[in-house]
Amino acid sequence: MESRDVPCPFCGCLCDDVFVTVENNRIIGVENCCTLGNAKFLSKKRLKHPIMRKNGKWVEVTYEEAIDETARILSDAMRPLLYGWSGTIGEAQVVGVHLAEEIGALIDSTTSVCHNPSILAIQEVGHPGCTLGQVKNRADLVVYWGCNPIEAHPRHMSRYTTYADGYFIDNTASDRTVIVVDIRRSEGAKVADEFVQVKPGGDYLVLSALRAMVRGKSDVVPESVAGVKKVQLQRVADLMMKAKFGAVFFGLGITMSRGKYKNVRNAIELVSELNRRTKFTISAMRGHFNVYGFNEVLTWMAGYPFAVDFSRGIAFYNPGETTVIDLLERREPDACLVVASDPGAHFPKSTIEHMAAIPTVQIDPCVNATTALCQVQIPVAITGIEVAGTAYRMDGVPIRMKKVLETEFPTDQEILERIVIRIREIRADG
Amino acid sequence: MNVTITFRNRRNRRNPFIPIEAEMITPDAFFNNKEICVGEGNRTVHLNELADVGIEGTASSVDEIEILIRGDASLVKRVGEYMTGGTITIEGSIGMHCGNFMSGGRIEILGSADGWLGREMQGGEILCHGDCGDYCASGYRGGRRGMRGGSVEVIGSVGDFACEHIAGGDVLIHGNTGDFACAEMKGGTVTILGDTSRVCANMSNGTCYVYGCAAEMIPTFEKRGTINHEGLLFHHFRGDVANRGNGDLYTARFTYLQ
Repeated sequence: MESRDVPCPFCGCLCDDVFVTVENNRIIGVENCCTLGNAKFLSKKRLKHPIMRKNGKWVEVTYEEAIDETARILSDAMRPLLYGWSGTIGEAQVVGVHLAEEIGALIDSTTSVCHNPSILAIQEVGHPGCTLGQVKNRADLVVYWGCNPIEAHPRHMSRYTTYADGYFIDNTASDRTVIVVDIRRSEGAKVADEFVQVKPGGDYLVLSALRAMVRGKSDVVPESVAGVKKVQLQRVADLMMKAKFGAVFFGLGITMSRGKYKNVRNAIELVSELNRRTKFTISAMRGHFNVYGFNEVLTWMAGYPFAVDFSRGIAFYNPGETTVIDLLERREPDACLVVASDPGAHFPKSTIEHMAAIPTVQIDPCVNATTALCQVQIPVAITGIEVAGTAYRMDGVPIRMKKVLETEFPTDQEILERIVIRIREIRADG
Repeated sequence: MNVTITFRNRRNRRNPFIPIEAEMITPDAFFNNKEICVGEGNRTVHLNELADVGIEGTASSVDEIEILIRGDASLVKRVGEYMTGGTITIEGSIGMHCGNFMSGGRIEILGSADGWLGREMQGGEILCHGDCGDYCASGYRGGRRGMRGGSVEVIGSVGDFACEHIAGGDVLIHGNTGDFACAEMKGGTVTILGDTSRVCANMSNGTCYVYGCAAEMIPTFEKRGTINHEGLLFHHFRGDVANRGNGDLYTARFTYLQ
């Protein structure tokens, strides 16, 4: 059996033109996908049963027992933390937010460690953005700032920017200019018409200088800014002003380096300044395929996009105080539920040590680095391959994920719903 | 009226690292004879469960109330939030959000303060003898105006983003600041006696004095020569030009990241 136009459940590009061939309920062929997506579609290793630590050893248990233990841990906790969410669909995230509100938990997503500063900046100055379709069909200037799409979002350039045929672009190879700004000459920088190498931590200063130049105030800018010559900055500013439609894409190079959201704010304000002269847009290169979706779900349910503390019955949001890294660093949580992400592989050592010291439960189809920190792991069906549902692309466009394989594994949503029901039973018993 | 709140050691509690949310510890709440409850994680407990509370005398106005906080209060948040008068003295260190939105009265901290000291404060005064965390005298996420009035003095050093979005009032920092002090400054006066970094980024108005070195100066400030201020020579900058700003930055020394 062959399925066309399957959305790929890997990165924020959410390419929805993948061609999947299935035989005997196994994927035997994937076309149009990049290596990252391919690996996910074709992966075979997974956890077959729920597991639980008993006397220091992993023991296979039933779903009933694993859910019972999870419910007991969460209902007992005074400051439970529910983290992850970006690798599952909106329908499951909704249940997660209900669970957080019901038990007075902290809920945070992987946004916290990637584009959290982008959201803070957008809350300060807004977001002059657009969909990727607009960029594909109109942009004659593309800027990649602090990101390397060739390795992190392999099909971004061919589907939406540099190599994509556009309705209003006659010859995509000659009519699109690409500017790459980075601290090193990455793979992406090699295809750029103009590569700007900034000293680490100097993005903010370069952005300020460009803003002043676009304003026509080049005279105040010193001869060199964070390792970039004034002549080159002027050339970049001129290219930007001459563009008919410019699109800026930025990544963790500016969100997670010194200055964080101030860097992003400055980039947004550069785009606003450019919009006084021409048409410019700016977008974040989001990571997980549905990280944007969690921001949408939590915003419509709690009013804030991530890092919400429900402990006092109302939604309180203050990144730096209610964000996952800060909480674990201060050793606040006394129980943790990880869903659809792998903090064990990415978080700083001190935070992981705290996760290992408290009862931690993971809901994930595979054994991963977080498994080593857990007391319980509950395997589930793979979202986007075995479960259909809604995910949001990096530009905020919702896309229906498809189910191409049959499975007997329960979904994230089912497991979370059963945990909620079990917690209510425990509380009713008093 | 003298109120003495002595926080007990929390070593025996289930998780001593859970912060205490104590927005009710204000002279106003004691003046109105309210039952003082605090949040400990997702539970609400009576203050007596965590601290010994002693009250002596009476008060005919909120200004006659003096609160003394003893014991370890370094994880106690939001003390003095929305206070309008009276005094709070903290013998040790205090947790986040001390003096949020305060409009009158006085807070003195003999130890250090955690983040968001005097966030969005409108009046009154805060004196911190130790250091202060990030976002001292700043605003809230996404807010356009931070501190609007009153005064904050920190004898030690402060963290990053001090006085972010400040729109009024006076701040005096005796030590150094972290990165991005006075970012988006819109008004008020900030004096930094030590060193600072990327100061006054994107400022639109207000005045800032740096007696030490302003490292990594934002490159879009216009040099306006030197001036004599209190017997010392300062470089005068105006900006942030990138933001069409009209703020004044006076610094004794400065460096660019070149």
